[in-house]
Amino acid sequence: MGSLYSEQHTWLHAVPAYVKLLCLALLGTGLFFTDQLHMLFIASACCIGVFLSLRKAATKTKPFLVGLVIACALIAAFHIYMRHPTLAAITVMRLISTSLMGLALTLTTRYSDLLHVFERLLSPLKHIGISSEQLALQIALMLRFTEHFFVLWRRLDEAHKLRTGRSGGFKILAPLTIQMLIAARRVADALHLRLRR
Amino acid sequence: MHHSSRSIALVSLFAALIAVFGLIPKIDLPLGVPITLQTLGVMLAGCLLGPKRALQALMLFLAAVALGLPLLSGGRGGLGVFFAPASGYLIGWPVGAFVTGLVMAMLPTASPRSAAISAFIASAVGGLLVVHAFGVVGLVHIANLTWEQAIMGTLVFVPGDLIKCALCATVVHTVARGLPDWRFGG
Repeated sequence: MGSLYSEQHTWLHAVPAYVKLLCLALLGTGLFFTDQLHMLFIASACCIGVFLSLRKAATKTKPFLVGLVIACALIAAFHIYMRHPTLAAITVMRLISTSLMGLALTLTTRYSDLLHVFERLLSPLKHIGISSEQLALQIALMLRFTEHFFVLWRRLDEAHKLRTGRSGGFKILAPLTIQMLIAARRVADALHLRLRR
Repeated sequence: MHHSSRSIALVSLFAALIAVFGLIPKIDLPLGVPITLQTLGVMLAGCLLGPKRALQALMLFLAAVALGLPLLSGGRGGLGVFFAPASGYLIGWPVGAFVTGLVMAMLPTASPRSAAISAFIASAVGGLLVVHAFGVVGLVHIANLTWEQAIMGTLVFVPGDLIKCALCATVVHTVARGLPDWRFGG
């Protein structure tokens, strides 16, 4: 399972993950609380500038950008049709700024660095029984089995095609789910032996 | 089997199943209606895992998405998706799964038939009503629609989601027959 992280090095790669997360949180909150067009315009221009500065690294986000442009166009067209052009501008600028910054953070921050920040953020929750190490273990298990279940789904689909000549569609959802539940029992046994809990 | 290991395994593997639902191309139902499967995963999590584990599975899935893994349908991921107009639906997934699990735990599941009927009701309440309620709030606050416009917008997806509730009931029926010792609703 690949991440959206870009190996193409940019200046934003050198900024620590917690700083980028903090900036994103502040930007998201700030944009949510302001309706002033000039502030939003400055914020959007800065966000577009930061995103464009990533150059080649940003090219792998093309499908997401197409989706963003379509969403912005639909929302703007709707508000303009309802004769609220200012609202259209506010909404589109908020959407562009936060989406591009979220995307920039994802492109330039390793999954492991973000996980480390999340672990640090979650560490106070240890007192109420939520372990940050458990989060890392669960994400690792999840990624390992995503690939496994995808292969299993393809096998079930191919078997169905061989029998009927058609794709399995929703008919293979139940067998896939049952296989998942059986696998979960096996994994639980293995974890119990390893973790002794 | 110890409770903690079982919870870790079920939560992680169900999150993986939801991720796979995002990789599977849209499915065409007999009448030619195309559906994507990740909201079905929300409904199934509640029905099969119970409220607490379903909530954890969806939180884990969304945490992995936030970390930048392209697990949403269409290969989307990263923090940007939480600022999109449809992010209310995403944030509603864990709550929807939790409510589905709560309702499922209150309804009868003794026979495959009763489990399937209960699953339909539970997924309609949690996976449909709750998720759409969050979706509407998101549309109002992020896309700046009025409440009426947002509700009208979300109603378009209700027929498709009702089909998913029926699919969820079918899967639960098969699981009840295939794994008779499975405890629905946790």
